[in-house]
Amino acid sequence: MILAGLPFATIAAIFGAAAAFATALYILKLRRRTVAVPFSKLWEKILRDKEATSLFSRLKRLLSLLVQLALLALLAFALGDPRAAATLIKGRNLVVIVDASASMQATDVAPAKNRLEAAKDEVKKIIRGLGGSDRMLIAQMDAAVTPLGPTSSDTSELERALDTIKATDARADFPRALRFATDSLRGVENAEIVIVSDGRLGEAVDSAGKVKLGDDVKLSYLPIGRGVRNVGITAFSVRRYPLDKSRYEVMLEVTNTGPEVEDVELSLFADPQKGGPDDKGVLVDLTKLRLKPGERLPRFYPNLSGASRALQASIAPLEGSQDTLPADDKAYALLPERRRAKVLVVTPGNTYLEAALLLDEYLDVQLVGPREYVEKIAPSQQKNDVVIFDGVTPADPPRAHAIYLDPRGPGSPVAVEAEIKTPGFDKIERKHPIVRWTALDDVNISKGHRLKPQPGDKVVGSSDGGGPILVTGQRGTNKFVALGFDPRDSDLPLRVAWPLLLLNSINFFTDEDSQYISSFRTGDVWRVPVVTQSGQAKLKMPTSAEAMIPVHEGRAVYLGQHAGFYELAGGDAPAEGQSDAATKTAFAANLLDADESAVEPAKELVVDGKKAGTLSGFQIGVRREIWIYLLLAAVILTAIEWITYHRRITV
Amino acid sequence: MRAERRTKKSGSGVEFADHRDYQPGDDFRYLDWNVYQRFDRLLLRLYEEEEDLAIYFIVDCSASMGFGDAKKLRYAKRVAAALAYVGLANLDRVSIVSTSDQVEGRMPATRGKARIFKVFRFLTALAPVGQTDLEDALKTFVAQNKRKGLVVLASDLYDPHGFERGINVLRYNKFDPFVVHIVDEAEAKPKLAGDVLLYDCETGDEREVTVTAKVLERFEVVYRKYLDDIDRFCTSKQVPYIRADVSQPFDELILRVFRRGGFLR
Repeated sequence: MILAGLPFATIAAIFGAAAAFATALYILKLRRRTVAVPFSKLWEKILRDKEATSLFSRLKRLLSLLVQLALLALLAFALGDPRAAATLIKGRNLVVIVDASASMQATDVAPAKNRLEAAKDEVKKIIRGLGGSDRMLIAQMDAAVTPLGPTSSDTSELERALDTIKATDARADFPRALRFATDSLRGVENAEIVIVSDGRLGEAVDSAGKVKLGDDVKLSYLPIGRGVRNVGITAFSVRRYPLDKSRYEVMLEVTNTGPEVEDVELSLFADPQKGGPDDKGVLVDLTKLRLKPGERLPRFYPNLSGASRALQASIAPLEGSQDTLPADDKAYALLPERRRAKVLVVTPGNTYLEAALLLDEYLDVQLVGPREYVEKIAPSQQKNDVVIFDGVTPADPPRAHAIYLDPRGPGSPVAVEAEIKTPGFDKIERKHPIVRWTALDDVNISKGHRLKPQPGDKVVGSSDGGGPILVTGQRGTNKFVALGFDPRDSDLPLRVAWPLLLLNSINFFTDEDSQYISSFRTGDVWRVPVVTQSGQAKLKMPTSAEAMIPVHEGRAVYLGQHAGFYELAGGDAPAEGQSDAATKTAFAANLLDADESAVEPAKELVVDGKKAGTLSGFQIGVRREIWIYLLLAAVILTAIEWITYHRRITV
Repeated sequence: MRAERRTKKSGSGVEFADHRDYQPGDDFRYLDWNVYQRFDRLLLRLYEEEEDLAIYFIVDCSASMGFGDAKKLRYAKRVAAALAYVGLANLDRVSIVSTSDQVEGRMPATRGKARIFKVFRFLTALAPVGQTDLEDALKTFVAQNKRKGLVVLASDLYDPHGFERGINVLRYNKFDPFVVHIVDEAEAKPKLAGDVLLYDCETGDEREVTVTAKVLERFEVVYRKYLDDIDRFCTSKQVPYIRADVSQPFDELILRVFRRGGFLR
């Protein structure tokens, strides 16, 4: 036994003083209240009985004094905070990792609201069962790992930390959590990692290899959850048709991760939350689906219209079916913005070019002659998104993205070299967006010029004999595409590739790419383009909360963990003449993770070839702090003394 | 003028009482000649003598009667006043004596309703004082009053020397005692708790007592037993006994209890 509090001599002094005081109070005779009675003879018999037991009464008074002294002794001893020597040395060091991933939102643990709440309840039991020398660190595991406070043995502090855990819509990064735990426990004795989870964590392997726990770290697993039946949306993607941007198509996939046949109703809503957070939007499609056990059912919805921007898919179980996890029942997507691009075409006259640009109704095309451009348009600094120079190359480059068809002279962004006869697209950078969906291999060209790209420029198409004939690059803030021949000297205008090449180039400039990401995945680090000078951007979450996030190389960087629609705004005020909307970007985020949708809890957890053990040694009320029991004994004694005093047993 | 109440004494009344043998010197106007004819014996006819009765009201004025707010003494005074009026109305000779351990005050015998105010004045002036010693006080009383009669004793009978001795003094001296026992039920359940120093309001005796619920229960038992002892004693000695609780309405006591007890006709 070791005294962790006051030393023995001090305790003895305190007890001595208190005992002397209590004894003095007992010795001092109480002044009795004087009361008159009409006939004291009646009391005589009673008083005779009392006298017969006066010795016993004195003994009882002595017993009462002894009880008081015992009370004082207990309290004085409690001040010393006595502890068993063994427990003082062998306190456990625990890292409790609480899974807050999407699957922990499963509602199969009634009466708890969901698995996360059940996990919190279990951790609370662990906290209350902590020994006096045990120390604990609680960490939240989702796409990241977040310690929720310092390592502590203060139960109230730990419970407060536990209460801050909130469920996310992301998958858990188990290897990272384990590495954090092992790092936290490095060099301490009696180290133990407790995983409180449904066990859908995958293998503990990351880019650095397998996670090693070490021999001196004990791993315990506290499984949470019971349910197995769940249906979730595991894929959701939308895109506009390149040539008819008012229409779009939707691809989504619904997966039944349970062992039973499930019937669900799949709804597709357009423009949800337009009229407020509770606005479901316009119902675009409603389908009933039957999914076999484990079936992944992809669905395509072509040629849809009616949504200006946002789409939301949701599933609901029909009668007799079960859906345990609500987090995967909704998916969100945003269509690319249909902005009308201003295109200035500087041409002496080109029917093929004009006809190709007519195909996109979202282009605001202005045709001007070369002289008019030089005399009027260029000096006026008219703002355009794209300028197409058809056989014309001005001396000064425009303040806009530009397409040069057969560029010439010093104003060309790339040097134009010798004429080449019958060049062809022998080498094509097929992954480049401007040549997507085009077949340029067999384009016949009578003549052209070899282009000489500068460092940093990209050669998209080149001829074996002649060199680069299709080059893209950037000068200042503006991109350009240079085609080293006049289309009219080839059969390109007669091909489908011609308008596609032009429209791809315009989309490439204006970022209206058909490869637009309709939604991000939760748990990934998102890099969202944003216009800002301040290095920060304001992110409005689906919950309407706002946060300032850093911007790196023109992209806001954020680890998103919640599904829904987001809005991102540049951290600085919009420039003069620039609308607020120009600096704002909207995007959606979804879970879309079949592994998270599979809610069946894992019965065991294996890390580094070792099976995690069951939790033990945490029993509520078995704290090894003896002073609590001493205090409890003092309270019980006081209660006994109080009761016996008022029942006149000890006095 | 003769009163209405008959005495045991035979005399010159009109109602036949008994016969006795003729003694020389007797008034032979009362010889019963009919009996002489039938039995050949000279017997004298005796008649009940009607005479005025002496009624004594002995009011205990000891300190215990004034305990609390003197409810018992007040009640005793009212009982004495009411009965005295009844006595005066019947042309009895009413006398009132206040006692403690001695005779404290005395209202001489008087007759007639008109004297009731004298009774009131006397009773009003009574105040609780001294210890109770019925034996000594009543010995003085019998010495001072040779004429026998009805003695109404209104007392709480808290006599440390024993209530029996006082009543016996009356009995042995041929008085007809009538005990009106004045009790206050509140005294059965005194409002006491904890460590107290009890002192007797008459004797001043002190005792330390720790009063608990159990002690109070035992006290009540002792108190009831004391009352029962008095009742039992009076019954055994054929002494009329009435227990008058101060919480009992006074008119009810007078009209119901005393009529039942035979005091009133």
